[in-house]
Amino acid sequence: MAKVVVITSGKGGVGKTTSCASIGTALAMQGHRTVLIDFDVGLRNLDLVMGCERRVVYDLINITTGEAKLSQALIRDKRVDNLYMLPASQTRDKDALTFEGIELVINELKQEFDFILCDSPAGIERGAVMAMYFADEAIVVTNPEVSSVRDSDRIIGLLDSKTRRAEQGESVRTCLLVTRYDPERVEHADMMSVQDIEEILAIPLSGVIPESQAVLRASNQGIPVVHDSESDAGQAYMDMAARFLGEDRPMRFIDFERKGLFSRMFGGRR
Amino acid sequence: MKRLRSFFQKEACPSADVACERLKIMINQDRMQRNQPEFLPRLQSELIEVIRRYTQSDQGDIQISYHNLPQRTQIELNVSWPATRS
Ligand SMILES: Nc1ncnc2c1ncn2[C@@H]1O[C@H](COP(=O)(O)OP(=O)(O)O)[C@@H](O)[C@H]1O
Ligand SMILES: [Mg+2]
Repeated sequence: MAKVVVITSGKGGVGKTTSCASIGTALAMQGHRTVLIDFDVGLRNLDLVMGCERRVVYDLINITTGEAKLSQALIRDKRVDNLYMLPASQTRDKDALTFEGIELVINELKQEFDFILCDSPAGIERGAVMAMYFADEAIVVTNPEVSSVRDSDRIIGLLDSKTRRAEQGESVRTCLLVTRYDPERVEHADMMSVQDIEEILAIPLSGVIPESQAVLRASNQGIPVVHDSESDAGQAYMDMAARFLGEDRPMRFIDFERKGLFSRMFGGRR
Repeated sequence: MKRLRSFFQKEACPSADVACERLKIMINQDRMQRNQPEFLPRLQSELIEVIRRYTQSDQGDIQISYHNLPQRTQIELNVSWPATRS
């Protein structure tokens, strides 16, 4: 059975697109047929993070309006088998996307894929609701910051009320992904801890991605950071995907280790 | 071990703790608003009107809070007014 998973947050710039690209890549590496849908109409970021921007011909809206077939719009990943993406439209007309159109596309994708990851736009309005509406599961991406946690709680409220599952009296399985986490600042009590966030939001934690220079390096090159298996963020995304598939892995990169000279010289790359 | 550093630094209140406190209050309010019935704002303003007809309460002396209990829904009404000595 195909699973539809929305990656959502409320607040913008917290790492949804970064997470969608890396988790999707990791799922495909495990052999799961995976497709990523960019719902961020007008911005189109996911193809940049995936490094396939020059191969975009058709987009999500072209399919829903019948201008293109799904097979024409799907972009096959160059690096990983089983991985495809569906770009967002550059149009400024955000109403061009309809629930009916999306339902048709998702139903068609369900025939071909195991996982359909929906990269949500920011906000708690129509665009975000559209990205989550058909979801079976949700990954709520949160930064350790007041406005981000608050928006995540609002998004959790929408997942509980504005999705098709909610309307049918079922629930969307929801988990928490804390990104841009800085254990040193947490140690200094300048940043909320994962435990604090988990307690406030009251949904199960499924991953912590540290603040990492590897993320910018990866997005500069258009290679999802999970490919950088030396990096902390890359490893954290691998862990996250494994947990998402039901594996039990301990959280890493959540404790601050004061670096001695030795580990500074030979320790893992940041 | 947690926040050992801040303990020694004797900061007035670590900023992360302030963040948590503010969040808990905000999110409680958000959740309350999310779950409350549509008539609640009208009920609230009518209650306030009636209460003020009888007491010398300020708007701020009347607190109405809304709770979702497992089996029931509850509003809690707290009213105070200046003491009148006879
Ligand atoms: N773990 C991280 N460490 C450092 N920078 C990050 C991390 N996650 C995301 N970023 C950066 O934050 C910015 C926003 O990320 P993005 O994934 O586009 O967020 P969103 O899709 O939620 O708007 C990007 O510049 C990205 O490189
Ligand atoms: Mg994005």
